[in-house]
Amino acid sequence: MILVPDVVSPVVVAIYAPAVFVGIIVALIGLFGISIEKNDLQVLILTDIVGVAMLIIVAAVGTDLAESLVLPGLVVELAEILAICEILMSREMRKTGKSVSLIPTPLNFDMEVLQTSPVFIAVILVIYGAFLSGFTGGAIAGGGILFYVMSLTVRGLPSDLWEGIAGASGIAWCLWLTGFLVLFVFPNYWLLGLMLAAFGVFIKVAFKAGLIGVMNREEFRKE
Amino acid sequence: MLEVYIWFYAGCTLVIVGSLATVIGPGVKDPLVRTLNTEIPAVGLSLIFLTYNHTIALLTFIAATSIITLILLRTIVRLEEMGAEL
Repeated sequence: MILVPDVVSPVVVAIYAPAVFVGIIVALIGLFGISIEKNDLQVLILTDIVGVAMLIIVAAVGTDLAESLVLPGLVVELAEILAICEILMSREMRKTGKSVSLIPTPLNFDMEVLQTSPVFIAVILVIYGAFLSGFTGGAIAGGGILFYVMSLTVRGLPSDLWEGIAGASGIAWCLWLTGFLVLFVFPNYWLLGLMLAAFGVFIKVAFKAGLIGVMNREEFRKE
Repeated sequence: MLEVYIWFYAGCTLVIVGSLATVIGPGVKDPLVRTLNTEIPAVGLSLIFLTYNHTIALLTFIAATSIITLILLRTIVRLEEMGAEL
């Protein structure tokens, strides 16, 4: 007997068993492929299939819980593939002694818009992002900070400032966690918890996107 | 009016056929072909997400899949430039 709450729609309940079944079949196919494959890169590509099977099984729950579990699964899969690709390439570099750069051609952002109006566009984006708040607002405000950092007229920001911003990003993440805790522990103060979570994740995402711009300036613009 | 189940079972079929094509399909010894074949189960999974109304998950999945494909393609090209056997 399967215990199903009333809030779950009958459509989702009807396709629960086939979805889990398909997930298990796909996982078996992917694991079979991994077991007969010898090359590391091919195995890495095949882990994508197993990831798809995992996502099907999680999605079969069909509620908001599934949606909130899919997102970290995707991010973890992305980080894992990035890390393993780096490991494979550094191993190959050590073996052959040749090194191939990440970007095939040297990046040169020589666009006029980066010289004439960076501050104005950055300010507009940050204000609009603050108005939106949450994950979307963080992405937009982070795009503004990214644009500001990439622009050519602004030079020589002290590196302490960027380290401070990274610290603020961590504190904002704590705000986000506190917001969630408030939602669960004191449900009466749900508005406070919602606002803490929304603005915590806004500050965090915005500063993370800004840090990408700092890395970009330090790493890629070696001319 | 098309039923909801059509999209779900179309997604399931695409996922199974696509994963079979990735594992034992023709020409998968070439990692480039194998990477492009993984897009078929990705489309099937998108249809399944669509059936369940997982909008944010679908958006994030599309973004993550395109980034993963970019990373894998660049890795394959870099490894081939270094002369590794694939």
